[in-house]
Amino acid sequence: MTYLWTFRAVLVRFLIELKRYPLNTLSSLATLYIVFLILFTGARYAQGLGVNLFGEGLEGLVVGYLVWTFAIIAYSDLSWELMREAQQGTLEQLYMCPLGFRFVSASWIVASFLVSLAWVAALLGLMMVTTGQLLLLPLGSLVPLLLLTVAPVYGIGFMMAGLALVYKRIQAFFQILQFVFVALVAFPADTLWGKALPLSLGTRLLGRVMVDGDTLATLPRTDVLVLVATAVFYLVLGIGVFRLFEGVAKDRGLLAHY
Amino acid sequence: MNLREGEGTPTTGTVTALIVEELVKDYRTRKGPVRALAGVSFRVEEGEIVGLLGANGAGKTTAIKILCGLLRPTSGRATVLGLSPSRPEVARRVAALLEGSRNVYWRLSVEENLRFFAGLQGVPPREARRRSADLVARFGLGDKRRTTANLLSQGMKQKLALACALVKGTPLLLLDEPTLGLDVETSHELRGMIRELAVSEGKTVLLSSHDMGVVEDTCRRVVILSRGRVVADDLVPNLLALFQTRAYRVSLRDGLPAEARARLATRLPTLRLLEAERALEVELSPDQDVYALMDALREAGVAVEGVSRAEPDLEDVFLRIVRGER
Ligand SMILES: Nc1ncnc2c1ncn2[C@@H]1O[C@H](COP(=O)(O)OP(=O)(O)O)[C@@H](O)[C@H]1O
Ligand SMILES: [Mg+2]
Repeated sequence: MTYLWTFRAVLVRFLIELKRYPLNTLSSLATLYIVFLILFTGARYAQGLGVNLFGEGLEGLVVGYLVWTFAIIAYSDLSWELMREAQQGTLEQLYMCPLGFRFVSASWIVASFLVSLAWVAALLGLMMVTTGQLLLLPLGSLVPLLLLTVAPVYGIGFMMAGLALVYKRIQAFFQILQFVFVALVAFPADTLWGKALPLSLGTRLLGRVMVDGDTLATLPRTDVLVLVATAVFYLVLGIGVFRLFEGVAKDRGLLAHY
Repeated sequence: MNLREGEGTPTTGTVTALIVEELVKDYRTRKGPVRALAGVSFRVEEGEIVGLLGANGAGKTTAIKILCGLLRPTSGRATVLGLSPSRPEVARRVAALLEGSRNVYWRLSVEENLRFFAGLQGVPPREARRRSADLVARFGLGDKRRTTANLLSQGMKQKLALACALVKGTPLLLLDEPTLGLDVETSHELRGMIRELAVSEGKTVLLSSHDMGVVEDTCRRVVILSRGRVVADDLVPNLLALFQTRAYRVSLRDGLPAEARARLATRLPTLRLLEAERALEVELSPDQDVYALMDALREAGVAVEGVSRAEPDLEDVFLRIVRGER
């Protein structure tokens, strides 16, 4: 039960902070929507000129944008949160949780994933209404796929947060990664190495589910396996890197902003 | 007590609450290593309130963070109820209030903070609500229950931080400079609460401060740190007694004429004049007693109004010990 109460505490705090700053949340959602409108108008215009910017047509754009949104929410939620906690001094208190800091951050990720799902669903609704492109939403396949697709991003979030614990000045670098994510989402995942990159393969598979009517069961087995493997790989790598830096921070006294 | 430290399950009453042994901590900095602790050892038994006293930079925070598992020592070892601080389950028994007021979430209200920290500790929601209501009342935070922490005064923030450590219900508390930056009144209020807590709930407390008043008010035993070393470790009354025995204070009716003063000075070389010559303080040498003092005063023709023991406070003791007088 202790696990449940600790998780509950983390989730409740997450929701309270969202509720307390609704403008923050709404304005970032609005920004994402406006960026999408611009992209979509551009793509449609290009299509009118006979140029097909997105291989799979406009649905491809919608799916890609969706994954990207999900990725940046996941990424910035985690890495900013960890850095903010370090600066506030509350990170040290989280480290003194009887279930360990790892359990706290895992709870945090689950909370953030659940909340991002809600945002992305809202954004998706808006996008479908605007574009008139109806996408298929078999939730049983979508949610696990989304989780697997975005897991590497949490791994990267951990890595960056670990770096930031020790090198306080790397924060400027954070935004840049969001553009790297664009490239990854758009990357055609057709070679094995391409499939091993974060986000690329997941985006393709989500496209097949939402546009072509595939389900988890009908997707190519190997692709799903590769997706699972990369999810685990990046997450483990990210946590490993985080722990490495955490060790350095414990040696040098950097868990709180010094 | 032959339980090997760092092993075994702690059972109440048989394991020393805190043990610090030959702790050394070097920080790596750009200008080379800084030695914050240079072989510090002390113990805290269950139920004790011990003060960790030292000037800024003496190493108090470093020692406390090592005990919290937030910092790795360079060498030496620390155990908390027989366990290494690096084990997460240690946190079931220890809560800490770390230096500075940023132990709580500034965007959360008083109540939300308390419930969060209770939940983090694994306390079920209903019990968490009960404890938090109880602490809100005890700390006089009733009207501020719904106020976010960033809007609280410094004193209230600190009370909230202490309450958040207490809501976890651990038998051990580590408090790093709990009264830092508070006004005199709030500081006294908080000292009272800490004292009461330790007594009424039988908590074991290690409290650090650079302020002797705080330690003298709350602790029975004090470990004095100076430049990363323990320079004294004793009960507060014993430390006071060390310097108490031979100092006397004499108040004078008519002041001290120069001639009398010269005569006195030959017999009492440690004589010091106080309060515009209305009083003097003197430390007797080992071969002198109060009679010798009285004789000297009479022979000098000084009119005495009263004699009392000069009561050294912890501050004197501290300064003398740190200067190496004992
Ligand atoms: N993270 C750190 N990096 C480098 N030096 C530090 C760090 N933390 C503390 N120090 C140094 O270690 C010494 C002891 O500091 P500290 O434990 O904070 O003392 P206190 O709490 O008694 O004031 C000081 O000289 C301080 O400057
Ligand atoms: Mg300190």
